[in-house]
Amino acid sequence: MSSFDGKKLGELHRHLHAHMPSDPALRVKALESLAVEKGLVAQATIDTWVEMYADKVGPKRGAQVVARSWTDPAFRDRLLADAGQAIKEFGFEGHATEHLQAVENTPDTHNLVVCTLCSCYPFAVLGMSPIWYRSAAYRARAVKEPRAVLAEFGVTLPDETRVRVWDSTAELRYLVIPERPAGTDGWDEEQLAAIVTRDSMIGTDRNLKVA
Amino acid sequence: MDGPHDLGGKDGYGPVDVNAPPFREDWEARQWALSKNVPLPGGSIDFWRHGIENMDPGAYVTLPYFAKWCLNEIAHRIDQGLFTMDEILTGTPETRQDPSAKPLDMKGVLARLRANNRDFRVKMDNGPAFGLGDTVRTLNHPVPGHTRLPAYARGHTGTVLAHHGGHLYADAGAAGAHRGEHLYTVEFTAYELWGTDDPDTICLDLWEPYLVQP
Repeated sequence: MSSFDGKKLGELHRHLHAHMPSDPALRVKALESLAVEKGLVAQATIDTWVEMYADKVGPKRGAQVVARSWTDPAFRDRLLADAGQAIKEFGFEGHATEHLQAVENTPDTHNLVVCTLCSCYPFAVLGMSPIWYRSAAYRARAVKEPRAVLAEFGVTLPDETRVRVWDSTAELRYLVIPERPAGTDGWDEEQLAAIVTRDSMIGTDRNLKVA
Repeated sequence: MDGPHDLGGKDGYGPVDVNAPPFREDWEARQWALSKNVPLPGGSIDFWRHGIENMDPGAYVTLPYFAKWCLNEIAHRIDQGLFTMDEILTGTPETRQDPSAKPLDMKGVLARLRANNRDFRVKMDNGPAFGLGDTVRTLNHPVPGHTRLPAYARGHTGTVLAHHGGHLYADAGAAGAHRGEHLYTVEFTAYELWGTDDPDTICLDLWEPYLVQP
C-alpha cells in the first residue's frame, strides 16, 4: 500500500538520484534487473511490449479511426458522441482511452492538444507520444502562444481562424479529427488512412497532403 | 503543489524539436514497458503523478522524461515495501516472488494493453452545481498537495463547455481516497488568460471544487 505521502516520495527521489549511477540507461537496467530477479516480470514480456509499440500500436490506428469518420457518417456520429466507445469497434481501446474525446477541425476552428501538467496522451490509439509532446517547451508554450508553436510545425492559420487548445488536465484524452482534404472523392478507408499523419491527430499538422 | 511540473505558460523555452521521434534510446522504450508491466498494486495514478511532482526541481527540469519515470517507479516500489533501497542500490534481491511472472507473448501483451482501459467515472448522489454555458471562476489559491488546476488558469473566468458527470477526483486520489466530483470542460479566452487579441481559446477539464460562481 502506498503511503500517499508526497514528501516521503520526494525524499526517496532525492536519495535515489544522489546514489544511483547518473546514466539513465543504467538506472533503467537496475530497475529491470531487480524486477526480473525478484520474479515480478519476465524479461520476454518487456521485449514483446517494446516490439508491440514498435510494430503494432501506433498512429496508424488513429488514422483508421479518422478515415472511417470521413466515410461513414453514422460512425462519425458515434465517434463525436463517445470516442472512447467508438474506438472499441476497432479493438483499439487500452491505456488512456476510456474517456477519449474526438474534436473536429473545421474551416473556422483548429484544435491543438497538450498536457501542461504531465504528458497525458491517448497511447492505445496513437502509440507512444513524440518526444516533443513531452518536452517542457511544448508543454509551456502550446497554451500561451499556440500560433507560434504551430508555425514551427509549418502550420500558419488565417487571423480569424480560432485555435482551440485542449489541456488534458483530467482523465479525458483528445483526438483531433483533421479535415478531409479536397481531391479524395471516392477514396476508400485504406487510401484515406494513409494520408492521416500523427501530428494532424495532435493538432500540429493541418492541411493533409494528397499524395 | 506549485512544483516544476506546472509548465503551462512559462516563458524562456526555445523552439519545439518538431522532428523528435517517440523514443531516441532503447532504455526509453524499455522504461515504458517496465512501467506498464511491473505490478504496482495499492497506489493510485494520481499519487504516482504526485511522486514525479515531488522530485527535486533541478532534477525535474534536467532529467529526460523516461529517466524521471524510472526514478518514480523505483521510489513508489520502495514506498510500498516491494523493493528496499539496498536492493536497488546493490542490485541484489533479498526476496523473490514465488512463482515468478510468466512471460507474455504478443497476444498476451496486446490483451494486457486492452485491459489497461480504465473507467474513471464515479456515480454521484448530488447533481452538478453548474450547467452548460454558465460562467465560472477558478479558485485563486495554491494547493499544497496534488491538484490538476494549473497555476496559469487560477483566478480566471471561463464558460462551461461540457459536463462529464462524476469522475474520480485527482486531489483525493493522490491522498488515497476514492471520491468523485463533477467534472467539467471549461473554456477560457486567450484574452482572459494572456491578454492577447487572438480569437483563440484554451479548454481545461476541471473538477467542481476548483470552481466558484464569479
